[in-house]
Amino acid sequence: MSLSTKNILFYLLLLGVVTWACVNPIKDFVQIDATSFTTIEADISDDPELSKVRLTSSSNRLQSQLALPISKAIVTVIDQNGTQTVFTEGTPLGTYYPPKGFLGKVGSTYKLNVKMLTGQIYESSAETMKAVPEIENAITRFETFDQYDKVDVRRAGFTVYLDFKDLPTEGDYYLWNWKHYEKIGLCATCTDGGKYDFKKLDCVQPKFPTDAILNYMCDGNCWDITTNNDLNVFSDVLTNGQRVVGRQVARIPFDNWTPYYFRLEQRSITKNAFAFYQSLISQVQSSGSLFDVPAETRFSLNIKSLTKPTERVLGIFNVFAVRKKIFIIDRRKDIPAGELPIISIIPGETYACPPGSVGCQDKVPCIESPTRTKITPEGWVF
Amino acid sequence: MIKLLPRVFCLGLLFALSHQSIAQTTSLPAIFGKVIDASTGEPLKGADISVDFKKSGVSTDTTGSFRVYVPYGEWVIKVSYVGYNPYRTKIYVKANTELNVELNNVTKQLEEVIVSSAATKRDIQTPSLGVTVLSLKGIKKLPTMMGEVDVIRSLQSLPGVSSVGEGANGLNIRGSNVDQNLIYIDDTPIFNPTHMFGLFSVFASDAIRDLELYKGGVPSRFGGRTASVLDIKMIEPNTDKFKMQGGIGLVSNRVMAEIPIIKEKLAVLVAGRLSVNDFMFKWFAPDYLKNLRANFSDVATKIYYRPNTKNTISLSTYLSHDYYRVDSLFSIENVVAKQTSFNYGHKNVAIHWNHYFSPKLNMMVSGSLTDYSTKTFAPDTVNTIDLNSSILYRNLTASFDYQPRDNHKMNFGITGTRYDIDPGNLNEGVVSRVATVKLPLEQSYELGLFADDEWTISPKFTLQAGLRYSQYYRMGAGTINEYVPGQVPSLSSIVKKTSYSDGEIMASYGGLEPRLTMKYSLAENTTMKFGYNRQQQFFQLLSNNTTPLPTSRWKTADTFIKPQQSDFLSLGLFKTFNENVYEASIETYYRDVRNTLDFVSGANLQLNPNIETQLITGKSKAYGMELMMQKKKGEVSGWVSYTYARAFNQMIGDYPEVQAINGGDWFATNYDKPHTFNMMLNIQPTTHHSFSFTFAYNTGRPFSSPSGSYEIGGKKFPVFAARNNDRVRDYHRLDFSWTINNPSMRKQRWEGSWVFTIYNLYGRQNPYSVFFKSTKNGLRAYELSVFAAPFISLTYNFKFL
Repeated sequence: MSLSTKNILFYLLLLGVVTWACVNPIKDFVQIDATSFTTIEADISDDPELSKVRLTSSSNRLQSQLALPISKAIVTVIDQNGTQTVFTEGTPLGTYYPPKGFLGKVGSTYKLNVKMLTGQIYESSAETMKAVPEIENAITRFETFDQYDKVDVRRAGFTVYLDFKDLPTEGDYYLWNWKHYEKIGLCATCTDGGKYDFKKLDCVQPKFPTDAILNYMCDGNCWDITTNNDLNVFSDVLTNGQRVVGRQVARIPFDNWTPYYFRLEQRSITKNAFAFYQSLISQVQSSGSLFDVPAETRFSLNIKSLTKPTERVLGIFNVFAVRKKIFIIDRRKDIPAGELPIISIIPGETYACPPGSVGCQDKVPCIESPTRTKITPEGWVF
Repeated sequence: MIKLLPRVFCLGLLFALSHQSIAQTTSLPAIFGKVIDASTGEPLKGADISVDFKKSGVSTDTTGSFRVYVPYGEWVIKVSYVGYNPYRTKIYVKANTELNVELNNVTKQLEEVIVSSAATKRDIQTPSLGVTVLSLKGIKKLPTMMGEVDVIRSLQSLPGVSSVGEGANGLNIRGSNVDQNLIYIDDTPIFNPTHMFGLFSVFASDAIRDLELYKGGVPSRFGGRTASVLDIKMIEPNTDKFKMQGGIGLVSNRVMAEIPIIKEKLAVLVAGRLSVNDFMFKWFAPDYLKNLRANFSDVATKIYYRPNTKNTISLSTYLSHDYYRVDSLFSIENVVAKQTSFNYGHKNVAIHWNHYFSPKLNMMVSGSLTDYSTKTFAPDTVNTIDLNSSILYRNLTASFDYQPRDNHKMNFGITGTRYDIDPGNLNEGVVSRVATVKLPLEQSYELGLFADDEWTISPKFTLQAGLRYSQYYRMGAGTINEYVPGQVPSLSSIVKKTSYSDGEIMASYGGLEPRLTMKYSLAENTTMKFGYNRQQQFFQLLSNNTTPLPTSRWKTADTFIKPQQSDFLSLGLFKTFNENVYEASIETYYRDVRNTLDFVSGANLQLNPNIETQLITGKSKAYGMELMMQKKKGEVSGWVSYTYARAFNQMIGDYPEVQAINGGDWFATNYDKPHTFNMMLNIQPTTHHSFSFTFAYNTGRPFSSPSGSYEIGGKKFPVFAARNNDRVRDYHRLDFSWTINNPSMRKQRWEGSWVFTIYNLYGRQNPYSVFFKSTKNGLRAYELSVFAAPFISLTYNFKFL
């Protein structure tokens, strides 16, 4: 029994009896419908690294990782002056990048056009990039959530609150993302008696599994990346032009005393994108209460098929400006007496080549992925 | 032969015990006496005497006399006779003991089951089809949730009445939305019938006399809703004798007093209930919850004045109040607030004057007012919020009952209602970084003329024909937007705004509402009923939540929101058996509603001045069949019912290509539960004890099941391509209650009773909903259960007569 959402907690609490309301995962959930849809996720930003278009055919399974990339499409973005930029496919497949030097400009209006190999044509509505204010300040406060056990890493931590001044224009919409980089020394862990295969760059399991766990050191610098799991959006509809204080943007675990590298990103998004993200939030974040709104996917919100107007298209044409700020959070400050970090211990032995062995490798490479990098993060000072 | 032997032996032994001549030779003492009918005094021949729960073989003779021999000691004697309530007693036998017993005829006993208890045959003799009368005395016998006698929850054990799920706010009656049912307490409407976001109903049970639920034939005096009417009447205080009663429970404490001021002329009723949840949180809640506050109270009063035999005047008031403080929940979107508080409640007042002109004609004039207001606030930050909304309902009605001849009963009258709605004002006159938003006030009139005639054409055939004319005006001041023709209304498609000044008519609607019910007796105890009615609704709730929040917005009809209109047909067959001890019924219905509302995906309903941009208009239909078998009297009473019911919506909108929900196809509503089975059993072996069981089963309600998943920003999200295309697991639950009346067993003015209840006896985790969460490991399906464990409670009630 996991008590996941606040709303459910509220009910528990409301009645004072903790065993009452409960949320159970459904282990063998069976879909009654399985359909794939064309998915277009297009980002145009004033950050050169963030502009890209991803074309996929959505997975018809809830659990499956498979979203088939759509290759060989012609992807173009046109601005208000008629300047056309062609995006070309790179890696991974189905992802299209603008030419080097392409930069979205605040105040410019963009329109996306996608021609598939099959002849289908999709077009977005025109979206204008809005200015984004600087992140002024982030305040970190040590807070405990006593619904969790003392040994639960979710209990004690630092809540990050953000301050910024909303722009004087009406109709500003914000989205926040964050990234944390943690430098690691061990780059691979082989369980069940497995050993690292330096050709395959992966663990290989023995025929007869054992309890042995072997850890391998990294062959150079390597960082694990953690990102926000929740979507966080905000509209200035009720606070236009005001200083917005105390907006919660992140929760940092108290799992060590070490300083915590925290890169916060503030985006100004369009009204359509805001509506799109809000619908995602109501489907998977604020769901699970007695008062849920109908779970509905917003198809074809700002991208429509020109060849088949009734086609339901997934995704969003997202035009945004972005500001980033790096904070190094001191996890030794203002900790109440008696509070200690829950430092996780990696089980197993660290593999080392026997002394004198020839041609033996005991350090594994840091493999780039969305959750790992060997590129020193910006502003890394440790 | 060998098998027969023991039986012969037993008979022989019993014969020996009972036979007087042999008895004379025994030294055993006898219990002897007479058994008679309590009402007629006639001796009952053939009544069985049981000793210690075993048949003695002794029965009464033609004079009602019996004699049974038992060894010295303590014995439980039971006297039973077919068609009569059995009698039990414990006797300590030291010598011959006389025991005279009066048995009550079950058929002459007053009904104590909750349904149709006002008069024995009322349910099948009035021409109103689908009317159910419930007595509070009966409702109090049903097992409760947390010891709170709950009208709304009890109603859900009747066929045709359901809700979205446990803890949901409001009722769905014969496929209706919650706002399509008119709930009256002493003729003042209730807009939100529950406390604590849906957990308990708002009515202080001690102040209620009875409830009439019109789920089929709605008389023409009721108007303004397209489904059913729940008419709750408060007790008329006793003008002769002071009475007090109350109770102490886990959730609330209550007290009610009837106070005569001038004998036979003036009396006052006061009933109050106050929740004690804060204590629960302080004592039982973990540390992090000790800050949570959730309290409710309600107070009902009634002043009853009878200056002479021709006039009565009564003034009823009903106040309810809820207060919560929770951490950042249900707050206003786009406001940073750590803690939010809520207040909401009703202030209802009604004055009634009844005047009796003659035995054939009497008049009732009433003035009533309901003020329902809500407040959402977070005062303690720089982002102070203070959001208020209110509905002010004021009504004047004059109606007449006229009986020109024995076979005609007429009711006619005129009624007028004024609505003043403040749909929301945020931070008016409050210093805050959060903006001030004030939605324009809405005002409207709803006028009605109505007449009903109940005409007994022949002893077999009765007809009740009624007609209502409703006229609605949406009044200025206000503004009407005009949108680009042929385009979906949106903020960017407004072409013109037309302003109306105070008192100007901005929109008007009207129409006739015929009502008809017919009763035909096929045989002495068999009746067939047919009903048709048309109803209009000018006032509706805007909520796209599974169950509406107490702060949800109500809206009267305007240029864009057309009044809802329903046609309802029903046909039923009723039969009683065994002198009204048993009643069986089968009812079928079909309901068709136009201009029902749904909302665009991601609709913003709160603080939105252009609400028409968020709405989709469509149709609803519902049909079903209800089977019920009741045993209304006797030591064991109760009912079983089975209902097959469906409820669908079709939301196409004026611009189907963008607005149609579910591709414009019919889809199941949130409360579409095809199969429902209910059972209620009450066992009352003595006046001191009673046991009740209720069992409920229904098909799980629909939810939207995903068709797959897709990725946005590296995270996975479910794809919901159809509305309500799957169902949660089935629901079933068993409850038990044990009531001990007057445990001291002495007759005294103060009488106490204990009610021990177990809700959800076998602890089934009934699903309320299925939902999806994105976790670090991908998407997962979850099931929410509201009352997922047995809940035991004990309540102490008292009466002071």
